[in-house]
Amino acid sequence: MKRAVRDVGYEAQERSEGANALDRERQVREEEIKRQGRNLIIAGTIGLIVMIGTFYDMLGAFKAFVPEFLSYKWVIGLLTTPIVFGPGRQFFTNSWRGLKHGVTDMNLLYATGIGAAYGIAVINTLFPNAGFGGEGATFFESAALLTAFIILGRWLEALTRGRTSEAIRKLMKLQPKVARVMRNGQEEEVPADEVELGDAILVRPGESIAVDGEVFEGYSAVDESMLTGESLPVEKKAGDPVIGGTINKTGAFKFKATRVGKDTSLAQIIKLVEDAQASKAPIQKLADWVAGHFILGVHLLAVVVFLFWFFFGYQMFFDPNSSFIMSPYKLGEIGVFGFSLLLSVTVLVISCPCAVGLATPSAMMAGTGKGAEFGVLFKGAEAIENTSKLQTIIFDKTGTLTKGEPSVTDVVVSEQPALNRVAGSVNSDRLLQFAAIAERNSEHPLGEAIIRGAERRGLQVVEPETFNSIPGHGVEAKAERTEILLGNRKLMKERGADFSALMPQAEALEADGKTVMFVALNGQAAGLIAVADTLKEYSAEAIKRLHKLGLEVAMITGDNRRTAEAIARKVGIDRVLAEVLPQDKAEEVKKLQAQGKKVAMVGDGVNDAPALAQAEVGMAIGSGTDVAKETGDIILIKDDIRDVVVALEVAKATMRKVKQNLFWAFFYNTLGIPLGAGLFYAFASVVISPELAGLMMAVSSISVTLNTLLLKGFKPSVGRGQRPASTLRLQPAQAPTGND
Amino acid sequence: MEHEQVEKEVTRKSALIYLPISIGAALLFLLAASLTGNHPLVARIGGMVWVGLLSLIVSMPVVISRVKKQFQAVPLEK
Repeated sequence: MKRAVRDVGYEAQERSEGANALDRERQVREEEIKRQGRNLIIAGTIGLIVMIGTFYDMLGAFKAFVPEFLSYKWVIGLLTTPIVFGPGRQFFTNSWRGLKHGVTDMNLLYATGIGAAYGIAVINTLFPNAGFGGEGATFFESAALLTAFIILGRWLEALTRGRTSEAIRKLMKLQPKVARVMRNGQEEEVPADEVELGDAILVRPGESIAVDGEVFEGYSAVDESMLTGESLPVEKKAGDPVIGGTINKTGAFKFKATRVGKDTSLAQIIKLVEDAQASKAPIQKLADWVAGHFILGVHLLAVVVFLFWFFFGYQMFFDPNSSFIMSPYKLGEIGVFGFSLLLSVTVLVISCPCAVGLATPSAMMAGTGKGAEFGVLFKGAEAIENTSKLQTIIFDKTGTLTKGEPSVTDVVVSEQPALNRVAGSVNSDRLLQFAAIAERNSEHPLGEAIIRGAERRGLQVVEPETFNSIPGHGVEAKAERTEILLGNRKLMKERGADFSALMPQAEALEADGKTVMFVALNGQAAGLIAVADTLKEYSAEAIKRLHKLGLEVAMITGDNRRTAEAIARKVGIDRVLAEVLPQDKAEEVKKLQAQGKKVAMVGDGVNDAPALAQAEVGMAIGSGTDVAKETGDIILIKDDIRDVVVALEVAKATMRKVKQNLFWAFFYNTLGIPLGAGLFYAFASVVISPELAGLMMAVSSISVTLNTLLLKGFKPSVGRGQRPASTLRLQPAQAPTGND
Repeated sequence: MEHEQVEKEVTRKSALIYLPISIGAALLFLLAASLTGNHPLVARIGGMVWVGLLSLIVSMPVVISRVKKQFQAVPLEK
């Protein structure tokens, strides 16, 4: 489309969601922090003066430094007014907006509390004999300090939101701003988001690669560690893929853009993390429901408290010599209405579930960000919560526990005379050649291993005349007047090929952890080909760590039981689900779930999709360059099986933080409500003032925020530097030759 | 436009419900305060205003969301 627009003489620009989202998000966040910061300076500074004026009589020797007029009620009132109608206005406007639409939130609690304190203070200043408590009940400092403390909480919230999405910002910083595009024979520097599909892009040493593509000229080594975790630079030559956001090290090369804009791997990773941070976990939905209904309940409680103290409590318990904590007023100066109203306002303020609303989302944001730092992408907050509850993990074998690149280890030819009658002279090379021909059109890793084995022996692998794949069993083909059947024992039994003479050898090979394929030629048992896939480097270590975490670990494979058990023994897995057809993997997951277990499935996302979807948590591994895979709740970018352990540890740490935050949030409310309602007044003549209630609520938000920030220091038990050095040897890079 | 009309109708119908509730609660308080104890007039009036305000805050969102649901449940006639 852009090319078509340019062809008619106009320029077209694609809006890059990644870069613009970063700018927008940063702008909004910075504006919010500045706004609340300004409000805090105004409310805090003037509030401090109001407080000094209110406590003037208690200043002692410091009175000499404070002008007396600051203690006059009308002066305090004049100072408080800009606080309430300036920084405090947001509470009134937001709550009215919400009420009009039938929505209640924390702003309503603040507006009611601040409004009531300010209103009564104004009446008592202007009309001290009106009977609302007189000059002794001018609670301007309540309104002023309450506003200041709540804004302090809001400012800290804004700061925290910024810090917890740092992970996204780090990812977005990898996105290069410009690209050197070859157009019409000219080298042109363009913004990275203007690169089009098919563009030829030149990359010089030290530059970042702008988009995903395929090298067509040149040779170099590229540092891909920030995305794939590969610690050494990766050689790139013609035909090799490159990933946007990685850094070219030593040489120069040209590549063709294959994925641009929001389709690049980096953009998709960023989107995944953003979406995850915006999603809600079940526990969060519960907390939101509680907070939402809580606010209405709090207002009802405020009515009950007011009615109790107005009609009963004041007459029964009131002590004129008592006072509010941290307040200069003796309660004797306040009448029944003033006293009841103040307790009602205190209940409103102290019951505010502001920390509850912050508890879960702040921790989830920090958790998804932390996971992304270690190459673990949670697709949603629900994925984190489910991962923390896992009891059983099932690993796919090929490509997950093993490298997925098996190689031929043994070729055993049948010594049956009947074989030569039906297929001519067959030796190990000939047997391997027939097998390779049959597998030529197969995409199975075992088939590819056989073809590699044949090519290594210099055998010619021609196209078969006919080919048929029998999923879960093997393949059949025809070549050189020979019917070739290659597959497992099930297939041979069904087709009537008798392998009884070779079974002892087959079983011995399987006991050694090898996969044995049976080859029949023209219906006659011809031989065995054994293929072995090497275990991934840290498979055993990962299983050991999972056992330490108390998880049951199982392995699922279509391989025969003997081979599967041999592999399982090597890595320390005690439960093996073998000879499972691809379409039955999801059923196996279901069976475990029917036992009441929370199950995770770890696979490469290719043929494991149904099982990944069935499990409570599906983890797709080694998907670093293809995050378009929709299967799985978690994507493990690096091809390191230990990241399963990292995912579990991050999830558990995050949920621990959520629960701690909810505890602190509800702790303050649970302790504060009885105090604020005057429950202890009857026994101890102690009651909390509205401003102290506001301070307690700010402290509850602060403690939740600080607790969440502690997650930044979390490190999984698997260290990043624990990888042995690669044996890759770099060759000198060559600059591209010639012109375009 | 249709949406705006619906919003206006919801606002109107809701107000017809929550306003009487709040005023009723306020008047009930005034009656109780007048009949019990020797509360000064100012305290009774002040309490009436406060109870009325809190009742309004409690009833307004509940009534508005219920009325909204009723409007959403009834298909709009063309």
